[in-house]
Amino acid sequence: MKKTNWIITTILVAALSVSAVAQSPNWASITPDQKHIANLNFGWDYSLSLGLGYGYKIGTKIPILINGQFSIPAGENLDDDFKAKLGGQVRLVKAGNFMATAIAYGIYRRYETEIVKFQNFGSEFTGVAGFYKPHWYAAGEFGFDKAVVTHINNSEVRRQFNPSAADGWFIPMGGNFHYGIQTGCSVKFMDAYIKIGKTVDQYLKPTAVIPYYFQFGTNMRF
Amino acid sequence: MKRLTVIILGIFVLFTGCEEYDPREPGLLVPMTVDEDSSIPSISVNNTMLHAESFGNPDDPMIVVLHGGPGSDYRYLLNCKEFSDYGYHVVFYDQRGSGLSKRENKSAYSLQIMLDDLSAVIEFYRSSPEQKITLLGHSWGAMLATAYINQFPNAIDGAILCEPGGFVWKDIKDYVSRVRGFGITSEILNDATYLDQFITGKETDHEKLDYKFGLSTVTDGSEDNPVGDIDDVPFWRLGAIVNRAMFEIGERVKPDWTGNLNSFNTKVLFVYSERNRAYGTEYAQHVSSAYPNVQLVRIDGAGHEMITFPTGWNNFFPIALNYINEIK
Repeated sequence: MKKTNWIITTILVAALSVSAVAQSPNWASITPDQKHIANLNFGWDYSLSLGLGYGYKIGTKIPILINGQFSIPAGENLDDDFKAKLGGQVRLVKAGNFMATAIAYGIYRRYETEIVKFQNFGSEFTGVAGFYKPHWYAAGEFGFDKAVVTHINNSEVRRQFNPSAADGWFIPMGGNFHYGIQTGCSVKFMDAYIKIGKTVDQYLKPTAVIPYYFQFGTNMRF
Repeated sequence: MKRLTVIILGIFVLFTGCEEYDPREPGLLVPMTVDEDSSIPSISVNNTMLHAESFGNPDDPMIVVLHGGPGSDYRYLLNCKEFSDYGYHVVFYDQRGSGLSKRENKSAYSLQIMLDDLSAVIEFYRSSPEQKITLLGHSWGAMLATAYINQFPNAIDGAILCEPGGFVWKDIKDYVSRVRGFGITSEILNDATYLDQFITGKETDHEKLDYKFGLSTVTDGSEDNPVGDIDDVPFWRLGAIVNRAMFEIGERVKPDWTGNLNSFNTKVLFVYSERNRAYGTEYAQHVSSAYPNVQLVRIDGAGHEMITFPTGWNNFFPIALNYINEIK
């Protein structure tokens, strides 16, 4: 299949889908002429989610990838919840095949049910370190996702039970650490990867309903 | 980091004109409790403050209403006030750490203290030693009633048990897993899990955790929820910590509240709902068989919260009234 067909297919699949954790490039497989990375992923990120992302590699001495991601969780109402991330990745360490990357994102996410609507601005900082070869890689990751400030809007349904519930910006509302492993393989201009890990809250307790995450993803470099 | 947060927040406030709140401030996310608002009716018993009130003539036979959860409150059971029009003294209380009752630290909860609280509430409202006592428990409240009867089989004179999850730990766990058996792609599972990235708190962050726990009620009236309720269930505050504590105690102790039920020969009214797909006749027969003398009745047209909504209440009330008139 031609590269353009891959692009169209990727965009179409992503447009029909709905998710998740940081984009995972194989730094060792990116050739100097490849500036763009498109990402499609599927997994569990506080819900069954599908997502897409785009990254642009800046031609600096230390490799930097500016990227954005958008994900939507499963459910009958596809437009009530989503998460958008904008940030970048910097490969800080390269010692032979060992590489370490720092990732930082600003996050805007939304959550809505019939009783409440949340809008949250947050941040995510993740470190990834591992062994990278041109055709495969394996790494570990550790990060923190902070829900910095959240706007709560209680619906009339909730107000009938709690009329005095306050609407407005609440700070602080929470945060979660995540840690796990990831591995992937690269063929020509494509990467496929899997990552799996656990989440604990900022007090190191696994209080999430399902305190795990996983992601299958594919990157296309061009 | 803190400075950055303040700057970001300042921008939001500037553009939206909204107020900034600290979620730990009482009354913002969930209603205040009896120790925070003295206007709420309360009693002080067993070294805690309970949100409680009673209706009817204090000398009439007493019905003590026990709510579900653990951690819910009696707001959704207020239809039971109607028993007071038929010659009964109806007592409601929010259990320790639940509803508008005073919160406690997680380590303060035990099954025994819940039973001791029930004894204390009965003692508080009892007008004479001869006054007859009937427990009316819903869901977890029916389990608490059974644990009480198992420990004090001679202390009460009747019991109305509405869809208890079970009387032994295995049954309870199986039932809870059936109730929470949401589809992996369903909206109600997403509503329950996606929230975890927005709100977290340590065990002393009661307001945040109670609020988050309360948001889980969004599944109440959903078609995907197997318990079959038709609408949202009213409540004041769901106690997240007492709920968590009691489940952890259950996992650790693996209770069996059936060992002494044979000593309770009084007829028990055991009701279950037609619409609760996680319960059903077979399971109701299994759970109720722990009692030697049972009147088992299905409440048609109702889900798990059969007392809350009109159809369930209209079908339940005559049966329950007939039962308590029989044992009066």
